This record gives sequence, structure tokens and C-alpha cells, in this order.
Amino acid sequence: MSLATDGNLSMTDVAHERGSLAGRVMRHVALFLGVMLVWELASYYQFVDPLILPRPTAIAAALVNMVLYQGTVWFHLGVTLWEAVAGFVIGSAIGIGLAVAAGLNESFRRYISPYIIALQVTPRIALAPIVIAWLGFGMMPKIAIGALICFFPPFINTLTGLLNVDEDANEMFRSLGAKKRQIFFSLMLPNAMPIIMAGLKTAISLALIGAIVGEFISASEGMGVLMQRYTFALNMASSFAVLVILTAMGYVLFLLMEWADNWLVYWRHDARMTAISRKKAKAWAGVAGRR
Amino acid sequence: MNAIASHLVAASTSHIDPDIVISARDLVKAFNSEVVALDRASFDIRRGSFVSLVGPSGCGKSTLLRLVAGLIGKSAGELSVLGHGVTGPSHDVGMMFQRPTLLEWRTAVENVLLPTEVQGTTTDADRRRAIELLQLVGLRDFEFSFPRQLSGGMQQRVALARLLQTGANILLLDEPFGALDEFTRERLNLELLRIVDDVEATVLFVTHNISEAIFLADQVMVMTPRPGRLAKIVDVPFERPREIALMQTPEFNSLVGEVRSILGGH
Ligand SMILES: Nc1ncnc2c1ncn2[C@@H]1O[C@H](COP(=O)(O)OP(=O)(O)OP(=O)(O)O)[C@@H](O)[C@H]1O
Ligand SMILES: [Mg+2]
Repeated sequence: MSLATDGNLSMTDVAHERGSLAGRVMRHVALFLGVMLVWELASYYQFVDPLILPRPTAIAAALVNMVLYQGTVWFHLGVTLWEAVAGFVIGSAIGIGLAVAAGLNESFRRYISPYIIALQVTPRIALAPIVIAWLGFGMMPKIAIGALICFFPPFINTLTGLLNVDEDANEMFRSLGAKKRQIFFSLMLPNAMPIIMAGLKTAISLALIGAIVGEFISASEGMGVLMQRYTFALNMASSFAVLVILTAMGYVLFLLMEWADNWLVYWRHDARMTAISRKKAKAWAGVAGRR
Repeated sequence: MNAIASHLVAASTSHIDPDIVISARDLVKAFNSEVVALDRASFDIRRGSFVSLVGPSGCGKSTLLRLVAGLIGKSAGELSVLGHGVTGPSHDVGMMFQRPTLLEWRTAVENVLLPTEVQGTTTDADRRRAIELLQLVGLRDFEFSFPRQLSGGMQQRVALARLLQTGANILLLDEPFGALDEFTRERLNLELLRIVDDVEATVLFVTHNISEAIFLADQVMVMTPRPGRLAKIVDVPFERPREIALMQTPEFNSLVGEVRSILGGH
């Protein structure tokens, strides 16, 4: 399955509205170009100060220059991407791990919940300077900040998903003589999968925020540094170009998560469910004795 | 009250009669000091018999089933299945719920195989059996569909196939087709009769519907609420196999009237 089809898939409900594909694409492109044109003219005729809001063409030029000629942007992008992904992986692993422990053990749940709530109501981004004071410079503190601010959605979603098991299904398993371990792996975990994935989708963008904020506070590399450098030099076109690259990066990460969701939670996606159903029929052909 | 209930129970005081598969004596289930869901129920269920359980909502039908299934513990009295006191779920007893409780991430046949998986490793023979059971419940060609691709009635058939896959000989069905329309329910009831006859199971079948209860059963246990009591056990004398036309006969209707008057008295 390619990324493109999966991207479409999540938007099929919207897409079916009306008109042909080409027509719809045309309308979107026309609207986008229209907005750009208004912006360009507003900036050109000094309705807005180009120092505050640079012209789209200037941003595009800065972007092309940055990506094609300067080359260093790739390095900074790599640093930020690595920080965000590592923060996401660590934060999610801790969040999901704690949630599984809390979901399986009620007394553990009671003991940790005050701390989890305290951590949740704290604006965790405020911990960033402290984390940097602890971990010094380099990528580690940014990863830690990302992990710290992104761990909550996977935690709370996993816990909710695990506890939100249909009581009848639970009794059905028990009536079959299922052990706790079997109930966990065959019922609770798959049942929680859709909501866990939703938590992970939120977490990945939070981890990216954590990495950038960490870079704002203290760093010598990364997209946050680049952004500050250009802004302080009042090179706003380049600042906006950095922003565009960050948006693209965030979007790619989001698409990856959509793809993972489509893959793991196949039973909520019609196209993949049908495909799997067909594949299983084929795999079972020997046993079923026909087809 | 207790005296009345126990003399209404079909004879047999012996606990070692091999023909009695479920036996209860003064069985009580109280959820807390106020809610007595089941008050001193005594009954014996014979091997191979089909017993219906009727009564208004909240009279303790599901509670009785869950006690027999070993899903909840009794508060007092005695309850034994196949001569042994019930202490927890047993492979001899299978239960089916009002809702299909299928796992939506599994195909129909994978759902049917769940009991086998829980008990150990799955062999090709188990897989063939699962396919056969799906065909038995009329789901040929839907073995690899996911629950979301099946109608409510079809989902309930998968649940029935899964129940049969357990190999349990005592089947507890809690309003298994209650959520379905009357046509589908009638057809599934007939199929159920044919199937349990095939596998020689003992069945305890909960329903709200008096005619349905009588039509299916050898005996009807009539329950009344607050507190949940077993008011009477009515024998159903009609020959098997039964046809739908039976429901139009005066004998059938007088039995319906009898059950209704027991329920109406409360
Ligand atoms: N877990 C529980 N905790 C407390 N009370 C319960 C519990 N389960 C059932 N009860 C109570 O026990 C009584 C009998 O419930 P039960 O579910 O057995 O009724 P029922 O005959 O199956 O009703 P229905 O036909 O509506 O399914 C009810 O008053 C109910 O409120
Ligand atoms: Mg009930």
C-alpha cells in the first residue's frame, strides 16, 4: 500500500462530496493561488510590512536557496527529526508501558495517578530549562523534553483503551477459561489499539514541538536554531522558509502515523479490511477445501 | 415460600443421579444486602434436555446463568454441574450472550477458533471443524468476513458457531437472538433446535418471550422478580421435532396461558 492511497483513504468521506477528482484538485489549487496572489500584492503594495510578513515569492526564493544551494538545512533538519523521533519513541514507550502496568494492576494505578495528573496539569514545557540544566547541551535534553511533553496522550489513551473493554466480551473470555495473559493479548490490547494509535498521532507532533522548544532555549544545531538565527537577523523570508520545511516534516510524520494506523488497525479501514479478508481466504484455501 | 418452591421442583433429591447435569438447592445470589438477584432456587436439569428460562426483566435470569457458568460466585446454597460443585468456568459449560461479543479484528472463522486457541494449540482439524460449524449455522462463504461486514443476525450465528466450537455439552444461552427481528429469530430458533439435537447438548435458554420459551423447551422455568424467584417449572409435553404450526394449537395456547398466569400473579 502506498502512502498516497492511504492519505486519500483517511479523507474519503470528505472526498466523495461532489465533482471529479481533477475538478476538485483544480478548485483547491485555484483557491491556494488566489490567497497567495492577494498576499503577494498586499506585501508588494506595502499594505503589510514585508519585514513582518514577507512576500510568498520571497519565501519561495529563500526556500529554494536553502534547499538547493545552501545545503546546511539538511543537517539541521536531520538533527531536529532525530530529536523529535527519539523523543516520540521514548515518551510513547514510557507512556504505553506505564499505562499497561496501570491497566493490569489496580493498586499501581492508584499509586501513580496523582503523579500523572500532577505532571499533566503542569505546563511541562516549563520544565524545559530545568531539563537542559540537568542534561547540558546536545541532543539529549531535546529528546528528553520531547519525551516529557509527548508521553501523556499515549499514556492516557492506552489506559482508557485497556480499561474500556466490553464487559460481555470479558465474561466470554472468562467462560472459555482464558488466563489473564490471554485476555490481555487477545482482547484488551487489540481492543485498545485504535485509541492508542490516536494517542500516538498526537504524541508525534508534541515531540516535534518539544524538540524545537529545546532548541530555542539552548542549542547550536537544529531547525529551531536556524529559525532563531534568521529571525534575529530579520531575514524573515528565510524564517518563513524554515517554517514551511517544518510544516512539511510534520506532515510527513503525520502521514507515517496514518499509514501505521491503517496497517495496525486494519479492521477500521474498509479497503484494507477487505484486502486482508481476501488474503486470508486464499491462505485458508487448503483447509476450507474450496475456492 | 421456600417450601412451595422446593415441592414444585421435578423430583430427584439424589445428587449422584448421572442423568442430572445441573443441580441447584436453595441457591442464593445477593449482590449486596439489598439486591437479592436470586432467592433460594432449587432445580435439576436432565442430560440432553432443553430448558427455557422466562421472566420479566431483572428477575435474575442472567444471574442464574452466570452462576452456572462459574462467572460469579453464589452467596448461599448448592450448585453442581456434572456432579461437581461449581467453583469457576469449566470446559463442559459454554455461554452465549445477548450481544455477539465478536472480536472485530478477527474474521468469522478466527472468531470461531477463539475457544480452541484459548485452550491450547490449533490444529488443522480444529480449523476444518470451525469451517464446518460456520456452514452448519448457515454462513458458508462468510468465513473470512470481518464482524463489521456481517449483519446482526449473521454475527449472532458466528457467536453460536463459536459456542459449539468449545465442545461444551452444556450450553447456556442468554437471550441469544433477543436483539433480532422476529423472522430472523424464529428461523435461528429452528436452526438452534436442529443443531443442539445434533450435538446432543443440554441447553438452558433465557428469553422474554413466553411462546418462544415453550416452543423450544422440554421444560420452562418461570421466574418472578424482586427478589428473583423460581416460581414454577412447567413441563412441555409436545413431541419433537416440532413445527411452527404447533404454536397455533389450543394445547400450546393453554400452556402459554398457564405460564402467563404464573407471571401475572406477581
Ligand atoms: N453486578 C451486579 N451488581 C449489582 N446488582 C446486580 C448485578 N448484576 C445484576 N444485578 C441485579 O440483579 C438483578 C437481576 O439481574 P439479572 O441481570 O439477572 O436480570 P435478568 O433477569 O437477566 O434481566 P434481563 O431480562 O433484563 O436481562 C437485577 O435487579 C440487577 O439489578
Ligand atoms: Mg439478562
